[in-house]
Amino acid sequence: MLNSRQERDILIVQAEIERLDASVSGTFKGTMRDFIDNGHNMILLNLSLVKFIDSSGLGSLVSCLKLIGKKGDLVLCGIHSNIMAMFKLTRMDRVFQIFPSEEEALSSMPK
Amino acid sequence: VNATQLKMIINSDIENVFLISTVINRLCLIAPLSSDELFQVDLCVVEAVNNAIKHAYGNESGHQVEVTFALYPNRLTFEICDAGKPMDTKCLPQKGVPSFDFDPDDLANLPEGGMGLLIINEIMDQIIYATAEGKNKLTLTKFFQANESAS
Repeated sequence: MLNSRQERDILIVQAEIERLDASVSGTFKGTMRDFIDNGHNMILLNLSLVKFIDSSGLGSLVSCLKLIGKKGDLVLCGIHSNIMAMFKLTRMDRVFQIFPSEEEALSSMPK
Repeated sequence: VNATQLKMIINSDIENVFLISTVINRLCLIAPLSSDELFQVDLCVVEAVNNAIKHAYGNESGHQVEVTFALYPNRLTFEICDAGKPMDTKCLPQKGVPSFDFDPDDLANLPEGGMGLLIINEIMDQIIYATAEGKNKLTLTKFFQANESAS
């Protein structure tokens, strides 16, 4: 479901699912929690393969952000335009740092 | 009433919700909706079905959730029916009241749950919830842009 690689101090996580919904949000959150518990506090989540997110999926992203807290950040990239409209509707576009691509996110994250 | 209708029934298992979503996505292509609107009405139906499974049936499999799609000349309606525990109508958000009124900088108080009905409230033009003869029915209506002023 989640494929990860390390670059500098950043864990880049690729979500390899088409739907981040109530059927997978628990597993998603559990895997992300494992990354965070293992000391990864700066995470870039690439959502370019995700075509649908429901409120459970959105809630799981917020949970991960809270788990990291002030120790680091959960940055998002590759969000499809339909999902971006949902982020705006729920005002989550003001909660998360969002970049169009992995490259753009990496260049603005702390080195 | 002149409507194109389709009724779908799934077992109350969260794993089955994508089936409804997949069909709604295709069905809505025959309605005059933008790509964002199509995504959003699909999302509303998913949220309503999730709620029926999680709250009305307490995540218990083996019950029926019915979704009826109806396309009218000026609107689209979805009826989501279950025979589980009725929803407390106090949970229904009020139209016109801002749904996502939180401080985006207040990390500890960001919402993690309970957003489904708020999303539905933001997207749908009309939301009616009724319980009769042991059946709960949530009716969601989306009017089409061009006809909005006439509706």
